[in-house]
Amino acid sequence: MTNVLEIKNLAKKYDNFALKNISFSLPQGMIMGFIGENGAGKTTTIKAILDIINYEGEIKIFGLDIRKQATKIKEDLGVVLDDMFFPEILTPNDINKAMAGIYKNWDNQLFNNYLQEFDLLANKPIKTFSKGMRKKLEIATALAHHPKLLILDEPTSGLDPVARAEVIEIFQNVIAQENCSIFLSSHITTDLEHIADYITFINDGEIVLSKPTNELLENYGLAKCTAAEFKKLDSQDYLKYKKNKYDYEVLVPDKKAFKRKYQPAVIDRITLDDLMVLMIKGDK
Amino acid sequence: MFGFIKKDLAMIKSNFKLLGVLLIVYIAMGFLGQMDISFILPFLSVMVMISTFSYDNYNKWDAYAVTLPDGRKNNVRSKYLVTILLIVVMAIATFLLTIMIGYVNKEPVNYSELLIHMLGTIFGTILVLAFMYPIIYKFGLEKARIGIFVAVFAIAILGTIIIQYCDLTFLGKTFDNLENYLITLLIFLTIGLPLISYFISLKIVKKKEY
Repeated sequence: MTNVLEIKNLAKKYDNFALKNISFSLPQGMIMGFIGENGAGKTTTIKAILDIINYEGEIKIFGLDIRKQATKIKEDLGVVLDDMFFPEILTPNDINKAMAGIYKNWDNQLFNNYLQEFDLLANKPIKTFSKGMRKKLEIATALAHHPKLLILDEPTSGLDPVARAEVIEIFQNVIAQENCSIFLSSHITTDLEHIADYITFINDGEIVLSKPTNELLENYGLAKCTAAEFKKLDSQDYLKYKKNKYDYEVLVPDKKAFKRKYQPAVIDRITLDDLMVLMIKGDK
Repeated sequence: MFGFIKKDLAMIKSNFKLLGVLLIVYIAMGFLGQMDISFILPFLSVMVMISTFSYDNYNKWDAYAVTLPDGRKNNVRSKYLVTILLIVVMAIATFLLTIMIGYVNKEPVNYSELLIHMLGTIFGTILVLAFMYPIIYKFGLEKARIGIFVAVFAIAILGTIIIQYCDLTFLGKTFDNLENYLITLLIFLTIGLPLISYFISLKIVKKKEY
């Protein structure tokens, strides 16, 4: 399967933070969820992918080096960034006219369709929009030139559950109809469990894991055990643990093998939230 | 690039009313024979465009622009082109209005003097643009404002010292010799300075991280 996004040994150093040796890839037609706590390096990674910051390492999009063929690549990228967009004195109409002069494939009709679908008035300045409406406008702008890869930084933040569901459905439709791929960072991990084919987890500037979502949710588990049971565990069989008031929560990478070895262990299905919390806050 | 120009024009459309009102004030003052304010209109065009940097900065447009095709280059190019376009349009408008006012008031119009005045106004305002834009791109609008204030203050003090303590008669002679080439020189500088300024700004923006 062809990779639309390939990152090898990406590094970026700041005074108080560094991205260290980031490597992962996104196959064509797939959705990758990019998760991690605040300050873990999600936005810095996205900025490097989009050529907003300088970096060491190699980033290829559609098989091309972003530093060498940025213009060609960006024609086929749709972008939603956390807090960067058109100046708020402009209206969606202004954006429509401007983007028609920026992207070769800009689709006026499609943009207007999204505005209608999202109930956004075309002639109102962005400054009159709520946070959720702004986010919808950013999404409409990212989608209206038929991009082959969407790079989305927190695209559902500020949206209510109904709007979130609406947006996620649109992403799924885009994937199905346009053969597009999506790389999205989000704090709302329940959304990602529904739509992401792959999950990449970053912590303190390092990739902790990058796996297919199915594999992750099927293989990983959350074992609950008493203090006595915990003492009998081989530390090779779990990744992290958290001591609660009455029990231990243990993150296991292979729940079937764990269950076979420690019968009758109680293992719950893991959520991405559990995974994040234990990987970041858990002990080893 | 036209998309970036459309975006910048859309940002200043609310200021068109202000520029229109000033044109009317200019006409009224011309008819009343009051002081000449023709230099204000092109100068105001630069000020109006500089205000767009504030809006861009507030919504981090420059970072977003980088994600668009040829975003770094066209974002800078558009700012220069729209500003120069506005300056030239406003200078030509005041030029034509001055002729019209002279015609209505039945006063003789010195066309060559008026032309030099218009070119001088365009040159002066383009000088402001050529000086300010690279500073804005390098340090941001807020720091650039302080920097420009300090620079103007330093130049004023330095100028006063030079005038008081140095013999500048040779400069007068040099300018006398240049008189015949003044218009050519003005045109050359009016085209050359913004070009140099543009390439400096572009170099700054190409290296910039957001």
